[in-house]
Amino acid sequence: MRQPGAYSKLLSGGVSGKTGPHSLPLARIKKIMKKSSEDVKMISGEAPIVFSKACELFVEELTKRAWLITLQGKRRTMQKDDVASAVITTDIFDFLVNLVVEDRNNSTAAVAANKLG
Amino acid sequence: MSDEIELSLPIANVGRMMKKILPPSAKISREAKERMQQCASEFICFVTGEAAHRCQKENRKTVNGDDICWALSSLGFDNYSEAMLRYLENFREFERERANQNNYKANNNCIEEKDEETKCMTIQH
Repeated sequence: MRQPGAYSKLLSGGVSGKTGPHSLPLARIKKIMKKSSEDVKMISGEAPIVFSKACELFVEELTKRAWLITLQGKRRTMQKDDVASAVITTDIFDFLVNLVVEDRNNSTAAVAANKLG
Repeated sequence: MSDEIELSLPIANVGRMMKKILPPSAKISREAKERMQQCASEFICFVTGEAAHRCQKENRKTVNGDDICWALSSLGFDNYSEAMLRYLENFREFERERANQNNYKANNNCIEEKDEETKCMTIQH
């Protein structure tokens, strides 16, 4: 697979400098892309590179929103429910609601079961 | 279970990305990182699905960078889409420059070899 180069430093901030040219392994991204849909036949070399950056932006945005919720709870440690709340309160993250709510329901059920037992 | 692990992004990388934009004193629980890992993987699947669907409708076999940018915009991630189009442009420009440099080097090598040949012939005489 083609290796990334110095073009990533062309973006302001030199975001990926410390962790190498890319923040995420391109081969792994490609694997995830392949498994995502039956419609996926071939993937160009640049697609995982675009995703590497797009995922960075996604993680940053979700992290910032989750952190605001952590602060609202007067805590300094981000918990998984903070991430869940950030998902639920952001429209464009609607596609993640089932992913986080399912987990929440499981953990709520586990807590309830403990109380009864 | 191992399939699931393999299909998510490495937790160390995800954790680093999260830490980078938080204050130094902020802490992140392992479970929060795991959840972010899952969300990021789902993000890739979601956007890829949209991009691939478009390719299929247009009878194209290869999902490229432009398709990803289009899918981001189509799914409401307009700000990501704009940033990615610029990023893609920079990447393509870099690749073009690199290809030009390689061509330049290859041509120069040819010229150098010819010079060597000429020198050898002169010495022989």
